[in-house]
Amino acid sequence: MEIANLPDLGPIASELTLAIGGMALLLLGAFRGDGALRLVGYGAVLLFGLAAVLVIGQPNETVLGFHGAIIMDPFAKFMKVLILIGSAVAVIMSLNYLEQEKLDRFEYPVLIVFATLGMLMMVSANDLLALYMGLELQSLALYVVASFNRDSLRSTESGLKYFVLGALASGMLLYGSSLVYGFSGTTNFPSIAEAATGHGMPLGILFGMVFILAGLAFKVSAVPFHMWTPDVYEGAPTPVTAFFAAAPKIAAIALFIRVMMGAFPEAVAQWQQVVVFISIASMVLGAFAAIGQRNIKRLMAYSSIGHMGFALVGLASGTAQGIQGVLIYLSIYLVMNAGVFCCILAMRRAEGMVENIDELAGLSKERPVLAFVFAMFMFSLAGIPPLAGFFAKFYVFVAAIDADLYALSVIGVLSSVVGAFYYLRIVKIMFFDEPAEPFEVPLAREVSIVLTLSSLFTIFFFVHPSTLISLATTAAASLSSGAVAVVGH
Amino acid sequence: MVDILVTYGIPAAIIAAQSVFLLVCLLVFVAFILYADRKVWAAVGYRKGPNVVGPFGLLQSFADLAKFMFKELIIPAGANKGVFLIAPLLSTTLALSAWAVIPMADGVVISNVNVGILFIFAISSLEVYGIIMAGWASNSKYPFLGALRSAAQMVSYEVSMGFVIVCVLMTVGSLNLSDIVNSQAGGFWNWYFLPHFPMFVIFFISTLAESNRPPFDLPEAEAELVAGYAVEYSSSPYMMMFMAEYVAILSLCALTTILFLGGWHAPIDIAPLTWVPPFVWFWAKVIFLFFIFAVIKAIVPRYRYDQLMRLGWKVFLPISLFWVVATASFLVFTGTVPQ
Amino acid sequence: MVVAAIAFYIFAGIAVAAAFMVIAARNPVHSVLYLILTFFSAAGLFVLMGAEFLAMILLIVYVGAVAVLFLFVVMMLDVNFASLREGFLQYLPIGALVGFVLFLEMVMVIGTWVIAPETAHLAQSPIPPLGDVTNAEAIGRVMYTQYIYFFQAAGMVLLVAMIGAIVLTLRHREGVQRQSITAQVGRRAEDALEIRKVEPGQGISEL
Repeated sequence: MEIANLPDLGPIASELTLAIGGMALLLLGAFRGDGALRLVGYGAVLLFGLAAVLVIGQPNETVLGFHGAIIMDPFAKFMKVLILIGSAVAVIMSLNYLEQEKLDRFEYPVLIVFATLGMLMMVSANDLLALYMGLELQSLALYVVASFNRDSLRSTESGLKYFVLGALASGMLLYGSSLVYGFSGTTNFPSIAEAATGHGMPLGILFGMVFILAGLAFKVSAVPFHMWTPDVYEGAPTPVTAFFAAAPKIAAIALFIRVMMGAFPEAVAQWQQVVVFISIASMVLGAFAAIGQRNIKRLMAYSSIGHMGFALVGLASGTAQGIQGVLIYLSIYLVMNAGVFCCILAMRRAEGMVENIDELAGLSKERPVLAFVFAMFMFSLAGIPPLAGFFAKFYVFVAAIDADLYALSVIGVLSSVVGAFYYLRIVKIMFFDEPAEPFEVPLAREVSIVLTLSSLFTIFFFVHPSTLISLATTAAASLSSGAVAVVGH
Repeated sequence: MVDILVTYGIPAAIIAAQSVFLLVCLLVFVAFILYADRKVWAAVGYRKGPNVVGPFGLLQSFADLAKFMFKELIIPAGANKGVFLIAPLLSTTLALSAWAVIPMADGVVISNVNVGILFIFAISSLEVYGIIMAGWASNSKYPFLGALRSAAQMVSYEVSMGFVIVCVLMTVGSLNLSDIVNSQAGGFWNWYFLPHFPMFVIFFISTLAESNRPPFDLPEAEAELVAGYAVEYSSSPYMMMFMAEYVAILSLCALTTILFLGGWHAPIDIAPLTWVPPFVWFWAKVIFLFFIFAVIKAIVPRYRYDQLMRLGWKVFLPISLFWVVATASFLVFTGTVPQ
Repeated sequence: MVVAAIAFYIFAGIAVAAAFMVIAARNPVHSVLYLILTFFSAAGLFVLMGAEFLAMILLIVYVGAVAVLFLFVVMMLDVNFASLREGFLQYLPIGALVGFVLFLEMVMVIGTWVIAPETAHLAQSPIPPLGDVTNAEAIGRVMYTQYIYFFQAAGMVLLVAMIGAIVLTLRHREGVQRQSITAQVGRRAEDALEIRKVEPGQGISEL
């Protein structure tokens, strides 16, 4: 017997790199003992870099792999690069924090690598099974890092809450998947799309789709599946929160788009209503609920709920232009998010981290540069031109208007105005309130590098937006043009 | 109606008759096996062992049977009565049902199922429930500790047992027990204990642990737990637990025989040895393995619990896992994968 | 087929009844035991369908290993489940409502059960007839070829679960003596023993 033909591993080169590299880092850490955090951490960053290079090296066409289980196209390339950047930044930001908080165990970067592997699998999923595997791999790793500070009650609570509700969401997703499978006879997205067109859409597939939507909405923390977000964000260690707010959200939105456009392209009318609803609900709740928050991490949680609502506006339009808007939104959100959390990491006194917004009072007197950058990010999150955050919102709303979703756009803009209130309140506290006790330590070198890069991007995005826009256009076009897939095996 | 009786009734009656016959034979055999166990143990200690009832004490087990049957059944006041009584029944039923698929000679088997090896493995992994239920339902500390020990121990050793079985299965290419035996025909050099010798050793030791035999009899370690999970049992339920244990030991010996010692085949395929019926060869091998079990009980001191866990997870598991990979690679690269 | 039908109804009936008892039993250990009975009956149903490999794997993995650990944990926990149930009636209306909605949906879905005949060819790996290959072989044919990606992905999920359990629970306590088998085995008599010739009446002066 000859050795069975190996499948074409080209499309999953980056996933393979992360899987093998992650296991190698695990061994390295296990043999080096607990002092290996920095070594393993930089190893993980290197791995993300390598994976990004492999992703960028993929051909600019749609390639299917493993009997159609996975798909690699410019959309996946774009999303994967974003996720890898997000994960790499998250690891870099956390090293110093973990050492200061005596959490320096090497499993942290390893878990982030495996979570990222799961996200890449989600982005490439072209099959319900691949979707679930990726999602579960990602979620399991995230549950663990949420309670990574296992001696802190809040951290373990956040991990447990995340786990229980996440398991519930996975259950809904699986229930939906089984309905879809039962009524279409397949788990493959294009085949589901085919089955859904034959006789009109069977009711079972529709129900299944709604359950899948609910499961995915949980993962992007869209209203009404957002309840876990504030508690988890508050309880988890700060760099973990920074990670949660970026890469997993991007992966979940990518999966959202992939499922809706790939498996249910004929049911746009049906899922559009749902997406419009959760998008409006998320934007409104994100804007209003954040007003009363005193804890900066909880505030960021509501902010991220709102931002996911804005991103979903693009998807709700259901057009290539809308998808392009989502891609641009997510890229800019990723950068702003990294910057804001770098600033939050600076909120440290001798006794430990402080998270209350009032502690920021008078920051402009003590640390004018930090205060300026923080304020700039707040303006950007609020969507004030000419900062990057404005362009993010601009593209999704243009797409929504072009798709005749006027009500959605109006509500979106209004909630964006409400949201500006709490962002600007932070600016007011920093610049006009009586100074509180100053923050002690300067930022770690690697964190300040991330902060500098992200603030430069946010400020000067308007100078040269065309590169990102053209990349996003290519990516979005690959998804909706129904490009003929090259079937590998 | 007559049709149904003819189509289903007659085969059902035949199966039932076979089962009852096997059951009776097995139970009588267990009686003597028990006697043999005690005799071996006694011999190692320069004692005589049971020698009063019948010639050479041969009927000792039957006397014990009568004693157990006529004693009063005591159910502790705090016990969970239902579970307490179901536990010995479950143990006995499971232990006996494994014998439904064990082939004692070519074609001499009640049910020749395709996945026989998995069936036995499943049954032997279910046997832990009898012990856990007994330990929990007794509502007493020692049985409970015994039950916890047993649960952890049996689950741990099943893992490496599973890998050992996988090694043999890959070499055979079938999950059917008769196929496994027949692929070892021709002489003892074809038996799998030679090519898979490390696996044979691991499997044998794991069966000791799986059946809670010394040196792994921690669930019933009399020095610290009195009689472990069986402390609160008396009368016939106790006898059933006891019997189930020995039937399970026999079925694990039979499994080892089938996997590694060529089942019913003669060691060398020449005239005087082939005259002996295959049935006898099979039982001779089983009894030989049981003899080793008995000797080990007499001469090996009991393991400590952490040593037991270390042996299972840190020694057996890596070795057997490596052996699975090695076997698979060998089969693929030498082109000897069974079709 | 009468016997098969009877067997089906017995197994199915036990499975449903036991599943109900899982949630109805007052004692958590009984719940787990009923859960095991449910698994067992499900394995019986698998056998009836001719999927004996799946049946045995279900027994070995779920009943033989997962449920044992489950039982282990439930027996060790000292939770008063009766007090946990106190809020039960309070949430009953909402729970019943959700259950009713789900039930209604199921009825609607099953009521419109039309599997388009042309979707049958979409099935990714049709089951080969039972007479041709045993079902262990049928699974083996696709497991490492067509489904290798999912299979390996599942392996990664389990790896992460294992790392997670270790990260969250493993603590090296101080002051606990651990046995080092290698040190123990590597110890030689010369390192530990010294043989002296003791002259009568003099003893050993230095130790």
